[in-house]
Amino acid sequence: MQYSRYLLLHITDAKAAGAFIQKQSDAITSVTDYPEQRCLNIAFTADGIRALGLTEANMQNFTREFREGMTTPHRQRLLGDFDSSAPDKWEWGGINNDEVHILLMLFGNNKDTTLAYYDEIRPQLNAAGLKELRQLDGQTLPGNKEHFGYRDGISQPVIKGSGRKGLLQNQINAGEFIMGYQNEYDVYPDTPLVTQPQGNINLLPEDAAGTGHKDLGRNGTYMVIRQLQQDVTAFWTFMNGQSKNADGTVNEKESRKLAAKMMGRWPSGAPLVKWPEEDPVLLFPNEDPAKFIDDDDFLYHDNDPDGLKCPFGSHLRRTNPRDSFEDNDAKESLRLTRRHRIIRRARLYGEPYAGSPTNLTPEGEVGLLFTCFNADISRQFEFIQYTWANYPKFKQLYNDPDPIIGVREQPAPGTEQNFTIPQEPVSRHITGLQRFITVKGGAYFFFPSITATRYLATLMA
Amino acid sequence: MIKQQPLTLVSPVRSGCLTQLSDLLRAIRTNLEHNQFPVFEAIGTIHYARLLLLNSSSHAKPSKDSLVFSTDYDGSEDDHLTDLATKMSGVIDDLFSLCEGYPAEGERNTASRRAFLAKSRVKSDAFYVGAPGRTLKQIREESRLRDFIWTQMKEPVWAGKTATEVHRTVRERVLAKPEFEWVKNEVPGHEIKWVYFVVLALAAIALGFLNYWILISIILIVVGWLVMLHFFYELKDKPLGLTPSRISEAHIRALEEYEDLHNQNQFSQLIPMKPGKVRTITVNALMLYARFRIHVEFVKGKLMGIPTIHFARWLKVDGGRQMLFFSNFDGSWQQYLGDFIDKSGWGLTAIFSNTENFPVTRYLFWGGAYDEEHFLAWSRYYQIPTAVWYCAYPELSIKNVNNNTCIRQELVKDLTEAQAQVFLKRF
Repeated sequence: MQYSRYLLLHITDAKAAGAFIQKQSDAITSVTDYPEQRCLNIAFTADGIRALGLTEANMQNFTREFREGMTTPHRQRLLGDFDSSAPDKWEWGGINNDEVHILLMLFGNNKDTTLAYYDEIRPQLNAAGLKELRQLDGQTLPGNKEHFGYRDGISQPVIKGSGRKGLLQNQINAGEFIMGYQNEYDVYPDTPLVTQPQGNINLLPEDAAGTGHKDLGRNGTYMVIRQLQQDVTAFWTFMNGQSKNADGTVNEKESRKLAAKMMGRWPSGAPLVKWPEEDPVLLFPNEDPAKFIDDDDFLYHDNDPDGLKCPFGSHLRRTNPRDSFEDNDAKESLRLTRRHRIIRRARLYGEPYAGSPTNLTPEGEVGLLFTCFNADISRQFEFIQYTWANYPKFKQLYNDPDPIIGVREQPAPGTEQNFTIPQEPVSRHITGLQRFITVKGGAYFFFPSITATRYLATLMA
Repeated sequence: MIKQQPLTLVSPVRSGCLTQLSDLLRAIRTNLEHNQFPVFEAIGTIHYARLLLLNSSSHAKPSKDSLVFSTDYDGSEDDHLTDLATKMSGVIDDLFSLCEGYPAEGERNTASRRAFLAKSRVKSDAFYVGAPGRTLKQIREESRLRDFIWTQMKEPVWAGKTATEVHRTVRERVLAKPEFEWVKNEVPGHEIKWVYFVVLALAAIALGFLNYWILISIILIVVGWLVMLHFFYELKDKPLGLTPSRISEAHIRALEEYEDLHNQNQFSQLIPMKPGKVRTITVNALMLYARFRIHVEFVKGKLMGIPTIHFARWLKVDGGRQMLFFSNFDGSWQQYLGDFIDKSGWGLTAIFSNTENFPVTRYLFWGGAYDEEHFLAWSRYYQIPTAVWYCAYPELSIKNVNNNTCIRQELVKDLTEAQAQVFLKRF
């Protein structure tokens, strides 16, 4: 859906909110619906579920990551949210903001539909005991671009058994993304059971792992949202500065190439492993770009063992190393990588803008609502953010954080932040990396099944 | 070659002194965090040090509250104990005067301190070194060498040169610097000693020829042992049965407070042994096996495939009733524990299934750690807070350390073009 408005809601009257949720639960879009006009989805923070009346004993069955949220000191270290990105500076979800309880997601096939949908919902909120804290508008841009100018969201896992087709490397056990099913360890993920009966518990299915308790998590998942402001000007100014001609003028081709090396794909989406020198969409202007831009059928181990085409430190090679996980062989790497995948659904906000070496000044704030789904926040989202992106020792590297999402704004004194581009005879080293994104807000949400949503609405009824 | 060794001192805390000792440990930790605790650094041979309490109120419930002091150090134990008793005497006095049996104030001297430390030693059952033979001095020298060459690499003068030309030029530049004089000293390589496996295999074959009944008996004993273990022990085991979300919040917070402050982390675990001789014999046999493989095979920076461990040790404390496990590793807890399951689940299962409440196992090697959620919960449950942790080179991963040694070794050799390319890819 092209346009979305997410409402961050605070519960002021749990009973009224329960009734509202019950009513809206019929409108929730399920996996088998294919609405053309508009969609609705709902997700809850731990504070929200508590506010709806789930007892503390039952709350304890949610994973700790979810219960604690994104802003504890330890999680701040893992996620790298320091300086301007620190949770005390966030605009929502941070430690100085109102408690977010519910995320009500409205989608429409265009802006007007979405806003009309919002106009229907808004008058009901007050009576429903819900206070609107903030609106997060988002959209998809033409060509699925994000603001730095890159096609986004190309590589996605395909849930095994869902009937959807996909590359073998992307077919992942359902339990990595939905609770109540086996994950890539062939065990059931930790799921919020209702160990202390309350509400209309008969609505819920039994725990698939066989504990005999009712399972609130079944067919639900965890949703991670982070609002990332993108500094398009700084991004392309940095790339231009590192690749300029001898006379100081911008070298567009080299600037684009350097940025692509850091990203791991060309702006069109074409993978560097197959096109190490130039974006094929520019090389072959007369050919249908479709065959380049959604190409996810590539591996690293045999094609690019030394990172000469796609650097080890690039954003995409780090965050989905495919068959080149650490120094394991290809088959083992693929097996291990499968345990750290996420389903991404980013939305863009601000002026629709796709940056480039010569087009780098959008109007006002632009950014991306990073959104992902996973059943184990710690092993999936947080692992990718910390171990693969922020951690500068990835693979054999020394001081190389992920150049797109892992750079510290103010590194500790004496700490270098570099990017290594493997070349022969000697690698090229870009030093003094800058941070181009600022975290403006974020939260962990429980994204329940429709059944579980109805159950949550019965807690105060 | 100077060896790296583990020192573990375990000393029962004097009654009534636990709070005072906790406060002291907290103060040392704060000072260390603010670079105001130079004593470990001053010794000059300590790679890692840690201080912690075996608290009788922890999940493992050891019979006594004890202070544990441990180091990973270079050289002989004799020299190390003397170093501690002399260069660190003030800290040693502060800490151990709160423990039972420490010499009274008027009787403290190097000999009496040293005697006390020697008496408190507990031997490790198995000890792993990620960079065998590398002294602290060597690690630091080689790190400076790498940084120097890396700076040279950034110069825009190499395009069009062959790898051997670059290698030769770099070597000349290094050797022109008096501070890198040591590069010329040869250091031993660390290759897997396959010969041991060959000898073992030949011995087995020879035994098969000479008297195959002995060989068959050995196999039968091992298999019989596993079957016996399964039917008479494993089936009666009681797993912890918790998932990670059920572990007490306060417990996890206390652990996480001291995690991910650097790119390296520490892990300390205290777990009660399962009772009975059979479990003790099993774990001792496995420790023997672990020592063998660490000695001959895990010499290149990987412990059973895990590429992030600097040092690790297993030992038994509290009269053999508890197992203590320490490690120093790169990256986060989640990555480390994930590696355990992904790369060496069977090995861990065999060792740790002899401790209480481990996830259900079958025939010693199967099940256990592969039950991901329950294994992670069990690991956290028996993890104990490290009170003070010192790392001499937090900026280096174990891969960096080993890569730096390769750089040093390859720098002084005459390389073929292909070898020189490998050398240059190390930067």
